[in-house]
Amino acid sequence: MSFILIAFLIFLALFLRFMLGVEVRSIFTYYLLGLIIYLFSFTVAEMPLFGAIDSPAFNEVPRRYLESGVTETGALNIVSSIINDYRAFDTLGEATVLFAAIAAVIATLKSH
Amino acid sequence: MPPLNHTEQEGSRIEIEDQIVRITARLVAPFIQLYGIYVIVNGHLSPGGGFSGGAIFGSSLVLVAISFNLEAGAKQISHQTASLLESGGALGFALTGLAAIFLGGNYLANRAAGFPLGQAGEFFSAGAIWIITVFIGIKVASTITTLFYNIIEKEQAVGDIKRTDT
Repeated sequence: MSFILIAFLIFLALFLRFMLGVEVRSIFTYYLLGLIIYLFSFTVAEMPLFGAIDSPAFNEVPRRYLESGVTETGALNIVSSIINDYRAFDTLGEATVLFAAIAAVIATLKSH
Repeated sequence: MPPLNHTEQEGSRIEIEDQIVRITARLVAPFIQLYGIYVIVNGHLSPGGGFSGGAIFGSSLVLVAISFNLEAGAKQISHQTASLLESGGALGFALTGLAAIFLGGNYLANRAAGFPLGQAGEFFSAGAIWIITVFIGIKVASTITTLFYNIIEKEQAVGDIKRTDT
């Protein structure tokens, strides 16, 4: 099957080059674009559906959050319990990014 | 050439002279601030939290500043206070994590450090999460305000230079 496809592409390239006078470089560009589009659509088609039970992202980590998040952190908002308790160090880094951003802005504006 | 609805007073002070905008902003701003505080302090119970609530609160201060003038906005929160709150929010966050170490847990630990969790669903619950959320809210609100003031004052300073040149 793939042999037929490759033969078809080669014949199409020869047809475009010698019958219609398309340049080799633009034929190559079209083929490359087609390959990229094919790869991207194939990747999207292979992704798990939204909320699928066999999604790789649904492993023991979110199960632990959902089952014992309330008893372990005392917060009803699971998102809040994750970003402020389980992943609090990440949130501290986020606050540091904000601090660095405003320090850079003030340093840039006040220096002129 | 200044845009419409803007008048120049005392050189470079650009302010909006629109009664509808002013009265609407004056009426709406306290409610936006109250809603921002509500989103921050209920971050452990309902959707929202420090980042979103702080953004709401900070944007209300920006709303007052752009619908009146910069002096009216600076009356609500001065630059010094905003800078102090901005640094104090991050510092309080880090110190909450250090307090967990002194209470006998890891850095930024909550239950392991012995923060009182309380009954889930009540307002005073979730231990360190509530404290951290409030600190993040203070930090984000003052960050937005400080960024806005710094950029807009630089803009006015640049406008002054250009006007004196021509």
